[in-house]
Amino acid sequence: MKYLIVTAILGMLAFAGCNKSPEPASGPVSPAKKMTIALMPKSKGNAYFISCKKGADKAAHELNVELIFDGPTDPDPARQNEIIENWITLGVDAIAVACENKEGISTALRKAKGKGIKVITYDSDAATDSRDFFVNQATAQGIGFSLMDEAARLMGPEGEFAIITASLTAANMNEWQKNIEARRAKNYPRLKMVALRPCDDLKDKAQSEATALMAANPNLKLIMAICSPAVPGAAEAVKQAGKTGKVKVIGLGLPNENKKYLKEGVTESVILWKTEDLGYLTIYAAHSLANGALKAGAKTFKAGTIGDFEIQGDNILLGKPFVFNKDNVDQFDF
Amino acid sequence: MKASKTIKNASRFSREITLGIGLLIILATLAVVAPGFYQAQPLLSLLTREAPSLIVACGMAWVIICRQIDISVGSQFGLCSVCAGLLAGMHWPIALVGICAMALGALLGWVNGFLVAGLRLPSIVVTLATMVTLREGLRWKRQGEFVTLPDTVQWFGFSQQQGQVTIIVVSLLVLIILAVTARHLSLARDIYAVGSDAEAARLAGIPALRITCFVFVLLGALTGLAAILNMAQAPQVDPKTGTGLELKAIAAVVVGGVSISGGRGSLWGVFLGLLLLACISPALTHLHVEAYWERAIHGGIILIAVAGDRFKQGKENS
Repeated sequence: MKYLIVTAILGMLAFAGCNKSPEPASGPVSPAKKMTIALMPKSKGNAYFISCKKGADKAAHELNVELIFDGPTDPDPARQNEIIENWITLGVDAIAVACENKEGISTALRKAKGKGIKVITYDSDAATDSRDFFVNQATAQGIGFSLMDEAARLMGPEGEFAIITASLTAANMNEWQKNIEARRAKNYPRLKMVALRPCDDLKDKAQSEATALMAANPNLKLIMAICSPAVPGAAEAVKQAGKTGKVKVIGLGLPNENKKYLKEGVTESVILWKTEDLGYLTIYAAHSLANGALKAGAKTFKAGTIGDFEIQGDNILLGKPFVFNKDNVDQFDF
Repeated sequence: MKASKTIKNASRFSREITLGIGLLIILATLAVVAPGFYQAQPLLSLLTREAPSLIVACGMAWVIICRQIDISVGSQFGLCSVCAGLLAGMHWPIALVGICAMALGALLGWVNGFLVAGLRLPSIVVTLATMVTLREGLRWKRQGEFVTLPDTVQWFGFSQQQGQVTIIVVSLLVLIILAVTARHLSLARDIYAVGSDAEAARLAGIPALRITCFVFVLLGALTGLAAILNMAQAPQVDPKTGTGLELKAIAAVVVGGVSISGGRGSLWGVFLGLLLLACISPALTHLHVEAYWERAIHGGIILIAVAGDRFKQGKENS
């Protein structure tokens, strides 16, 4: 009797242990085994990546693949490497990673590729030889053109606007700005950029800068904030100056940080990519790569229900950024 | 006799006078070239935005007078802001939140003070370490996510204008209290003595180490207060807030005529130094000068101030 009880308890423990294991399908490979795709965020708790995962879950469900979602609790390149090593041991079919550190992760990814695992990066890239494709959420041109088009839509045919950037030396912002200027010169020559101010990527400094910009440029119609903390900073300045509606705010930022100002009508629109689509496209691309449907040199790629995507070289482009405004911002939480 | 006293007074306030003239020149130039600078709302807003920096600069002045330095104030400011924001988010009364922020600041200051005075470590190294540790800790914990505040926190529940005036008045009160005690409190005289010559001060019976620790605690507590005054100006707290604040405060102190080698300087000079530096950025925006020049001008002003200091000391010593 005693023996039976002990066996039963041991059995239950073993069963509980099995349930707890994150990877139930670790037994010998059967021919009917589902494809396994491993998706890694920069950090697990980050709302941005949780939103990516939502789209990834949907794609995994549609494709009937096993999706493993794991990553560091905090952005930690070393931990990312450890997890990839585990995935190699586990023998997953494809790995999709948002890289915290380009150099740090590339060695582990090369090793995975050497073992025949298909590797994709999304959100932020690794060294190009360590992965097959990069799902690029936004090109500099996409961002620059979208911002300028949105500004023009709000300003009408002529008027003055100012840009708040993070710093005058940030490479990505300068690239966006070049594209903003190119779009302006070609399509909206009567719109005038009167000032460019840096805010050191700080919300508080952006608020001070925007206050001075409005005082110095009484005809200012719009402030374009191209680093994320500057959007709410500029909006608060406009609100405090009592110029809501008179000076419009747009920018590149996160929906949650701007929800309040979008609803109050201070900020007109915030531009970013749809993170759910990014996750969705990444899983579709990883799946097609693993089953051989997607090969190097392809020019387009069809991802389930959301349509066709352009491929430039080894970059799969998510396409035009998404415009968040007061009508749709409540659907997003990141 | 009387004339010589006047001259002596004039020389004691020479930095304040130079700064005052410099500030007047800038303001007069702006009045002619860019009269748009003189609008009530943007000016009130500028002063409100600079009020927290003034409080931190006052605390920093005491640390530098004591011949120490604290480059971790920006990180302390960030940590106090985020903690205060989280407490306010739990609907703690704002006065209690303020006390907690000041207590936290004082605690952080005490850690610096203990390491510097207790373990005799150089303050620049200690505060460099705490600066990086606190800032990275904050980044790790918040991952850049803003803290959203309840609606009642902004302007302490007053109207915008009342709130702005309150913030300016509080910062000026801190300045006046600290500047007046500098002349009349024996503790203040002890700080000057320790800053001039710590060994001589110790031999004279002044508890030099305790005083050194105290200036760090004072700066920390003032930084906590400044964080609250800054938090009340927006509905969200950016966890990166305070980045670069140490440079701003130290620049104001040095430009204000406090000797970087300790023992001399006044808070009135620091006040004028901060006003002068704070004017530069909006002035450039009004004059439509490219932002590239801003840092160069700041640097130039600091260099002139330090060089002026050296020149003055050289003349007195000869």
